[in-house]
Amino acid sequence: MALKSLGLALLATTMLASGVCAATVDVAIDSSPAGLDPHLITAFNSAVIVQDNIYEGLTNIDKTLAVVPGLAESWDIAADGLTYTFHLRPGVTFHDGSTMDAEDVAASIRRVQSPDIASPLASRVTPIKTITVVDPMTVQFKLDAPFAPILTSLADIAIVPAELETNKEGLQQTPVGTGPFRFAEWQPNGFIRLAKNDTYWMSGKPALDEVRFNFVPEAATRQVGITTGEYDILPNLDPATALQLQGQPNVTVQETRDIAYTLIGMNASRPPFNDPRVRRAVNMLLNREEIIQGALFGAGVPAGPLSPALVNWAVDPATFDCYETDIEGAKALLAEAGVQTPISVKMNVLPRQDARDIAQVAQQELAAGGIQVELLNQEIGQFVQDWKNGNFDLFVSANGGSPDPDEYFYRTFKGNGSTNVFKYADPEVDALLDQGRTQTDPAARKATYDQLQTELACEGPAAHVAYGTLFTAVNSSVQGFDIYPNGRLSSLIDVTVSQ
Amino acid sequence: MSSRQLLGRSIDLLIVLFGVSVVVFLMIRLIPGDAVAIMLGANTEVTPDRIAELRGRLGLDLPLPVQYLNWIGGVLHGNLGTSIWTGRPVIEEIAANAWPTIELAVLSLLLGAGLAVPLGCFMAEARGKGSEVAVRVGAIAGLTIPSFWLGIVAIYAVSKLVPGFSSLGYVPFTEDPLGNAQRMVLPVIALSLPILANLSRLVRSAMLDALGQDYIRTARAKGAGRRLVVYRHALRNALIPFVTSVGVQAGYLLGGAIVIEQVFAIPGLGRLVLGAVTERNYPLVQATILVMTAAVVLVNFVVDLLYTAIDPRVART
Repeated sequence: MALKSLGLALLATTMLASGVCAATVDVAIDSSPAGLDPHLITAFNSAVIVQDNIYEGLTNIDKTLAVVPGLAESWDIAADGLTYTFHLRPGVTFHDGSTMDAEDVAASIRRVQSPDIASPLASRVTPIKTITVVDPMTVQFKLDAPFAPILTSLADIAIVPAELETNKEGLQQTPVGTGPFRFAEWQPNGFIRLAKNDTYWMSGKPALDEVRFNFVPEAATRQVGITTGEYDILPNLDPATALQLQGQPNVTVQETRDIAYTLIGMNASRPPFNDPRVRRAVNMLLNREEIIQGALFGAGVPAGPLSPALVNWAVDPATFDCYETDIEGAKALLAEAGVQTPISVKMNVLPRQDARDIAQVAQQELAAGGIQVELLNQEIGQFVQDWKNGNFDLFVSANGGSPDPDEYFYRTFKGNGSTNVFKYADPEVDALLDQGRTQTDPAARKATYDQLQTELACEGPAAHVAYGTLFTAVNSSVQGFDIYPNGRLSSLIDVTVSQ
Repeated sequence: MSSRQLLGRSIDLLIVLFGVSVVVFLMIRLIPGDAVAIMLGANTEVTPDRIAELRGRLGLDLPLPVQYLNWIGGVLHGNLGTSIWTGRPVIEEIAANAWPTIELAVLSLLLGAGLAVPLGCFMAEARGKGSEVAVRVGAIAGLTIPSFWLGIVAIYAVSKLVPGFSSLGYVPFTEDPLGNAQRMVLPVIALSLPILANLSRLVRSAMLDALGQDYIRTARAKGAGRRLVVYRHALRNALIPFVTSVGVQAGYLLGGAIVIEQVFAIPGLGRLVLGAVTERNYPLVQATILVMTAAVVLVNFVVDLLYTAIDPRVART
């Protein structure tokens, strides 16, 4: 009785407090972004807030990860593949009221290329050598060599007002874009609030008045918050939480194939993994199905070098001969490579539950072939440092993945590539990588990447383990939300809420 | 308290702050991985010269003693440094996150300490009775149940009992008093329970001691009423260990606030310092810990002053 009347009193105060409700969606993410400058951010938590919501690029990526028009309505590619002409969408304004035109586009590309700004996206636009403003609604890029991934890359190059070209600090705290939502408020460590862009170029969109990104570090709190309706969308759930939420009333758990993947990296500059036969043997010892069951609660599929979410590119891993678990064959290969088994190696483990679990299952599987693995559970700073310096025998980690194969392969597997931490160098692979980025004929390009996937799957320096399932919990009051395979919340523009 | 004692106390405070500044400075640097490695972690354009450039810009390439002197020199001039990640002065970041923590800590201390006195007196007086045993079991439970667990259970229970009750996040009191109160109820209860449990047990034993003293028997013998004996004669003496403990609890409060802020998604100093540690934001960690230490030391300083009011003997020694 006492509890009930207390409850009623609290309810009464709540109703008084809530007042008139705007159409708001509350998203809960685990941590606050360090900054919001679309050309400087690297963290997933920043990208998920700004890309597609506050900012747009010339092109856009749709749910199938294909390129569609964005701020450019259309484009022409010259026959030699070197000149791209973009026709801009008329009537687009920035959140500060100014009109978006070709000068802004040119300034944005220059900003990303500028060594002074030091954008992590710079490599995506290095092939652009000259930028010409043809007229206010037309801009032309000349490339030094044909570069097929450019259209995909441009989707992530946010167009910012031209006057901010050399401004290093301003956009980190107060973004100004063209997207469906404008930046409204940032409570440090609390939340970031975006408000509807009333002058958005797509008429009638967005339907929401507000989106709030709440920073909720505690997983249990996020989980309780979505069941009680405090939060409406929980992106990026781990499989264990997803399982618990699946039975809850008022909560739907969406599943998408992730383009992010887990991998076991091998140091190609140190014995024994400098020998391609040893790398093949590792693949033969791994039982990816077992790892997925044991470490990922069954939520995932065996991984080849590209995610099945890249429907136009991925080769079915069942076709890779080394993916069939074969302990005797692996032992024979190790013997052939002159490896004295048992051999002891160390494995650096990313401090994340799925990586730890994968490491333990893989440790057992590799032991069957005589590779004794010592697991090093590292703190994140140490892990990143060792990873970057190529200071490991093996590591277990997770990577983001990209919609275009070149974006991931070139920097990772090219000799001296910027994230080639394995110190892997194979002339044949290098040649294919160079070939793939210059081909503009889709079929020919696909053939190149098919061959690369087969090369890399068995003897590459990364044993791709699994593509997880991307779980997103959505409250039943939210309609029209659809998570993208790249984890982006691009569909917020279509979301409506019922009270 | 004499002015000499005051001076002595102030010197103690400086020594503590100096010690803490050295320890914090070294400890954060002992954790493997540095800010530059983490900042550039997901960056695909990492080159050794870029790492060196950033390290140089942040002054992280200097020898440790020089880095320490640079920092402490700035602090003495009132400059606590700038955040490595946002480039803003850390004092601004601390100020932006201080209110929720202050509100949480003060309310929890008031609730915990305020209830501990009557509860402790009750337990001392009703010793051995069924109701006292029940309260004592409750107190032990309050001490042993981890507050993060209690917090999550409370969020869940209240949300089922009172749909629509907002218990997560923070709204400033000045913006929305009711919303502020709603969001403070559960975290304050979760944070104050261990204090209440601790302090009430302390009051109980101190009261039992006091009630067994000769002067109480004398007071009773001269016919003083129960209320007068308990609250006037016994309680005043029993309060001395209690007040010392309240000072000690201030330290616990800030530690507990880190956990509670995490659970209830409150943007306070605990969140700030935890985030700063994971980001290796050295200036922010150093400054926040220094400010928190100063707060705890000052609270204990005030507690010492309170002794004099409660126990006149202290002033004379």
